[in-house]
Amino acid sequence: MTLQECYAAMGGNYDEVLGRLRSDRLIQKFVLKFVDDGSYQLLLDSMSSQNYEEAFRAAHTIKGVCQNLGLTRLLNSSSQLSEALRHGYTPEADGLAEQVGRDYQDTVGAIRAFQAAAGT
Amino acid sequence: MKKTRKEKILIVDDSELNRAILADMLGEEYDIVEAENGLEGVGILQKMGTELSLVLLDIVMPEMDGFGVLDTMHQNHWIDDIPVIMISAESGSSHIERAYELGVTDFIARPFDALIVHRRVVNTLLLYAKQKKLVGMVADQIYEKERQGNLMIDILSHIVEFRNGESGLHVLHVRTLTELLLHRLSQKTDRYRLTPGDISIITTASSLHDIGKIAIDENILNKPGKLTEEEFTVMKTHTTVGADMLENLPIHQHDPLVKVAYQICRWHHERYDGRGYPDGLQGDDIPISAQVVALADVYDALTSVRVYKPPFPHDEAVQMILDGKCGTFNPLLLECLQENSEIIRSGLTGDTQAQRDQREMRNISQEMHRYEELTASERTLQLLEHERMKYSFFAAMTQEIQFEYTASPAMVTISAWGAEKLGLGETVMDPLHNEGVLALMDPEWVQGLSNALHSTCPDQPVVSYDCQLNLNGETRWYRIVARAIWSADEPARYTGAIGKAIDIHDSRMKLHALEQMASHDTLTGLLNHAYAKKRILERIEGRPTASFALAIFDLDHFKSANDTYGHSFGDHVLTYVAEKLRQSIRGGDIAARVGGDEFLIFLEHKGDVEPVVSRIFESLCGTYEDFTISVSMGIAPTALVGCDYDTLFHAADQALYTVKRGGRGRYRFYDETMKQMLSVISPIDDGGGDAETASADQKGDGQI
Repeated sequence: MTLQECYAAMGGNYDEVLGRLRSDRLIQKFVLKFVDDGSYQLLLDSMSSQNYEEAFRAAHTIKGVCQNLGLTRLLNSSSQLSEALRHGYTPEADGLAEQVGRDYQDTVGAIRAFQAAAGT
Repeated sequence: MKKTRKEKILIVDDSELNRAILADMLGEEYDIVEAENGLEGVGILQKMGTELSLVLLDIVMPEMDGFGVLDTMHQNHWIDDIPVIMISAESGSSHIERAYELGVTDFIARPFDALIVHRRVVNTLLLYAKQKKLVGMVADQIYEKERQGNLMIDILSHIVEFRNGESGLHVLHVRTLTELLLHRLSQKTDRYRLTPGDISIITTASSLHDIGKIAIDENILNKPGKLTEEEFTVMKTHTTVGADMLENLPIHQHDPLVKVAYQICRWHHERYDGRGYPDGLQGDDIPISAQVVALADVYDALTSVRVYKPPFPHDEAVQMILDGKCGTFNPLLLECLQENSEIIRSGLTGDTQAQRDQREMRNISQEMHRYEELTASERTLQLLEHERMKYSFFAAMTQEIQFEYTASPAMVTISAWGAEKLGLGETVMDPLHNEGVLALMDPEWVQGLSNALHSTCPDQPVVSYDCQLNLNGETRWYRIVARAIWSADEPARYTGAIGKAIDIHDSRMKLHALEQMASHDTLTGLLNHAYAKKRILERIEGRPTASFALAIFDLDHFKSANDTYGHSFGDHVLTYVAEKLRQSIRGGDIAARVGGDEFLIFLEHKGDVEPVVSRIFESLCGTYEDFTISVSMGIAPTALVGCDYDTLFHAADQALYTVKRGGRGRYRFYDETMKQMLSVISPIDDGGGDAETASADQKGDGQI
């Protein structure tokens, strides 16, 4: 699996990222790091403990990282979730959090597959 | 400054991944310092200051967000020297507006574009470097101009003096005196609204007071004898001539220096009583600048040699002025002269301020010459940087809890070792209300320390404050030695403190243990006799109208217990009885071991004391293993024998002796019949004399 195929599987925009980061090596380095980023776990924890302020920050961080890495699909859902939590809890938040969860699993799944194929 | 090292950039972002991307984009050209939230960022800013060349700042972060960091940077004026580029996915215009208002230089929106990030960072750094260089150049230029300006005035006034045949120091003396008098005057009164700027201008302009003399005929100017009336009329015109010269300047007429110089030239021969020249102005119609220079002029004329007179010594000159022999002056100014008398005496004869200034200036220019590549302001910065480095090096080496507190924004930074020891962050915002701090130090202690620091003054800013800290579940005594920081302006404001906390727990505990040892009986843990006596006396003195009773008891047949079972068994019995005693007395009572098997109890009572005594007595009796504990007790109430300790003790002792003789195992109150009794414990040679009081109180014998 190539990095481009991986991006296609994640619903990301490879060309846009390459335009900004300018190097395949850099993109690969940070995409692989994404799997270890703690923000998603923080989102899960703070949602379940109903700490919505923390959850907002976690969603916001995921959004920022996705922007930088061009992970469009996850960017969209995390962006919506962070808006839904910006001023505290709203009823949409739960559904959006589930959507973020699905997109996150897809993204991480694709990265893992890429990682396995690249043998890194 | 020479560029020998990489510039440092601080990245404050809560996402490690984002920090990594940014660091990568900036590449090898810079040293990157990272902070994962605003608070940590502020801590690094506090520690590194202008060592940092740039801050990249996220907005949404835990602990403290980007706006909080900007606020703090603003309050500490860090933002003046350290540029900030805001990075965020927030693109709402209100956010951007607020960020710009708070002083950020630029804004980078996510997603990051490597080229843009890099270019903006480089641009901002260049811009600031240029700005710093310009500021430095301007400061150096101003300094140089000022120096040249003073030089020109010195030369000009010297020309006047040269013609006048004076020493050449007159102008310098007048200038120094003028400055001293004005400074004192501004401290004494607000009447003349003298700012430091005004003082500086008047001082400089004072050098020009006699420029009109250029137009006076040399024969009149240097005439050794007294001037004729006609000559004096000519001489007097030097005031108006000098003023006209300034008034007719083709340019600079509205410059404050020229205006003040005009006042001084024209009116420095006016008198406070209106009898001076040329205009006969009176009181405060004479501008304060001219009043001050007039006084300085007269003083220096008196204390210098003139063709027509020898110099007067300082004290005589001052006295002549005060006596009104040389004109009349503003009484306030005369006070200033008197109050500065000592400084003037030593300052004008020897090393004058102006001479010192000149020497200093020469030193600086030599220094600057030596460090050719450095300008003066850059050198200051370098020294500052050096001090900072020195400080952080030593702070890192010592295993001490050091801290620095700023009142606004309320924030404390703690040395790395100290922060770890205390379990706090290196930076804590609002420490007086911070949970971590309050868990460590109870609110009363925190408030007490804060009050102690606030009530210092700039002259005595150091506080030594002992308090308890709760560290890892243990409460330990610490001594906090701190120096309050007061601002330099008037009135001084409390702006924070620096200090350290020292663990004094062990030494304090040792002291406590020594006190304990000195006051307690080692076997039973009860008070010893000497200390009990001290406490009893304090108690009697503290409540002179209360009723007390002193009881002494010993164990019957204790010697046989020792003989039969051994001494260590005897010790166990004593410890057992002491414990019983401790349990049976009330909170305010005092119990002590007098020595051997004798004990003492001191009780306060309101009504009849006997029930209390009876209860204690009974609780003491019993058995310890095979040994039957039987007690004999004598009691002396203060109501009967008075409050003198020795009398009280002796009476109780006699009562005890009576019990011993009467078969033991009982308690008895002292009465008159025992007066001639011997004593059990401490035979007093001639003790009985002062034990007589009113009628003998018939207290019954207690018996089991």
